[in-house]
Amino acid sequence: MKSWNTIEVSHVSKGFKVFIDKGHTLKEKMLFSQRRKYEERQVLKDISFEVKKGEGLGLIGHNGCGKSTMLKLLTKIMYPDAGTIEMKGRVSSLIELGAGFHPDMSGRQNIYTNASIFGLTKKEIDGRVEDIIAFSELEEFIDNPVRTYSSGMYMRLAFSVAINVDADILLIDEILAVGDAAFQAKCFNKLKEIKANGTTVVIVSHALGQIEEICENSIWIHKGLVRAVGAPKEVHEKYLQYVLDKRIEVANKELERQRKKKEATDEIEEEVLEDASAWQQQELDPPKWGRDIEIIDVKIYDIDANERNIFKTGDSCSICINYKVNRPREGVLFAAGIARIDGVLYNSMKMRIDKEKGYDLKEDGKVVLQINDLSMLPNLYDMDVAIEDEDANVIDYVTGAYRFEVVSEKTDEGITRLNHSWRKVDN
Amino acid sequence: MKIFKELYVYREMIFSLVRRDLNGRYKGSVLGFFWTFLNPLMQLGVYTLVFSVIMRNDIDDFYLYLFVALVPWIFFSTSVSGGASCIWAQQELVKKIYFPREVLPIAFVTSQFVNMILSFMVVLAVLVVSGKGINFIAMLYLPIILLVEYILALAMAFITSSLTVYLRDLEYLLGIITMAWQFLTPVMYSIDQVPEPLRPIFNLNPMTPIIIAYRDILYYKKAPELTTLLQAIVLGGILLVVGGLTFSRLKRHFAEEM
Repeated sequence: MKSWNTIEVSHVSKGFKVFIDKGHTLKEKMLFSQRRKYEERQVLKDISFEVKKGEGLGLIGHNGCGKSTMLKLLTKIMYPDAGTIEMKGRVSSLIELGAGFHPDMSGRQNIYTNASIFGLTKKEIDGRVEDIIAFSELEEFIDNPVRTYSSGMYMRLAFSVAINVDADILLIDEILAVGDAAFQAKCFNKLKEIKANGTTVVIVSHALGQIEEICENSIWIHKGLVRAVGAPKEVHEKYLQYVLDKRIEVANKELERQRKKKEATDEIEEEVLEDASAWQQQELDPPKWGRDIEIIDVKIYDIDANERNIFKTGDSCSICINYKVNRPREGVLFAAGIARIDGVLYNSMKMRIDKEKGYDLKEDGKVVLQINDLSMLPNLYDMDVAIEDEDANVIDYVTGAYRFEVVSEKTDEGITRLNHSWRKVDN
Repeated sequence: MKIFKELYVYREMIFSLVRRDLNGRYKGSVLGFFWTFLNPLMQLGVYTLVFSVIMRNDIDDFYLYLFVALVPWIFFSTSVSGGASCIWAQQELVKKIYFPREVLPIAFVTSQFVNMILSFMVVLAVLVVSGKGINFIAMLYLPIILLVEYILALAMAFITSSLTVYLRDLEYLLGIITMAWQFLTPVMYSIDQVPEPLRPIFNLNPMTPIIIAYRDILYYKKAPELTTLLQAIVLGGILLVVGGLTFSRLKRHFAEEM
């Protein structure tokens, strides 16, 4: 082991037997031995990394990627199937808070039990019990039974014990979500302080910002393999990119499913309506709009002509308005407005304003509006579509014709991302 | 050998688990900790009633004869059958936090051991009050036999607690096993009453020399024979090695099995 490292992980693999129907009892084990089928799931495959003393490492990845298993291996709750893990010094884990708390015992007694589970001796606990109580801000209640505590107080006490174990290596799993915002900030600052004093920190978290703030390195574990390693900001950008792509993929699948479902129900409805519709239709009030030209539907396509309802900031898209001609008209102008879900108008695009010449519509067809740079920031957006004549009289109008989402790996604030660049000019 | 160093570091955890168990056991009851003494006293009352009034026996003061053996037996059988679930019951801890897993059976057996010591206070008090008396020379052997029994109980708890993680039935099976074991140990009768051909089997039972030694010290008021002591120590030592190895072998996959 290199002298400047506190953690060295080399070629670690870990697999689990995932039982479809796990039997715990003798009867189940004997009678259903053939039914106890399992698949060997390789959770970690040949993972290697090292952490220098006093540095921070973030482990990121989507749920089930193996990052928590990696942390469990570091904690020595589990052992790797292959490879070695070497660690120097006392390891403490902030994985389970309040381990061994007894509700009938006082806060102070529970500090002793809980701290002893982290491997502290009585003398060591005596030395820091006052620090623990002060950090938890529970001085008034410390001699009351823990069952009288609120859940926030309970977690505060538990965290205070865990953070005050002077460890050389601190392993943290998604627990910086303790108590109210003020206490969270306090915990985070304490963590930074501990790290500044030379403790090595390994964090598993979805709060990428926290990792960026405290860690020198980040590892993105994907399907049991190291997909990217390096400075947190760079790794996280790659990771976010992947997450967005994945989300868009899922949203598109859902859109496809909805479309198929709609097709199926439409067919049924048509059959039912067919006989009734002929005379019923006449009794209905004539629609206010759309008597001459009717908007049938609106769809948004990406550059590959796939229908989509989720885009990334900066993507190109084309909006396709399908219409039906009941009575031919001349000089028909189209318009589309995009509004954020909270009602803020983002942009309204009108052929009239763009000084376009109106179309002469004789039969059914479609009009395409091409947008080359979706500059809006992540949110949900609604699109309204209108058709008007040259005198600005509305022919047809559909509000909320299409809802779409914009996502981005950039974290700008505001409503739009301007196309921009920076440079320094020396005088 | 690393494990001994580690257990030494974690000694406070053992103490606090024992403390928590002893303090928490009678929490909420009116008599509280007093039950620790009341319980064996009331058991003694029942045995006296049954064996001195109803089922008369040739052995003098049979209730004492039985009781000096029954107290250590209860400690042993609780360690074996109750200890079986001591890891399974703490699975939240085992799955989330690292500590030497040996801590759990050690704490469980130690807590039972403390309980037995307190019961022995009652036994000694009864011996004095009943006029039977105590031989102080013989009493010097008591700590040795207590220690040997502690080691034996710990060895068994290592085995049962680690196996139960993999096979939950064991916990229930052990209830009947310890009952059978009790009848195969001279707790309610004398080893002399066992037919000669069966003696070798009885002597392989690690609890046989221990019960004989307790009875020698407390009932017959004499030092136990050296062979009895040696037999107990050797059997206890062998079982501790077997138990320790079994446990260290099985503990690696505890978190995955639960």
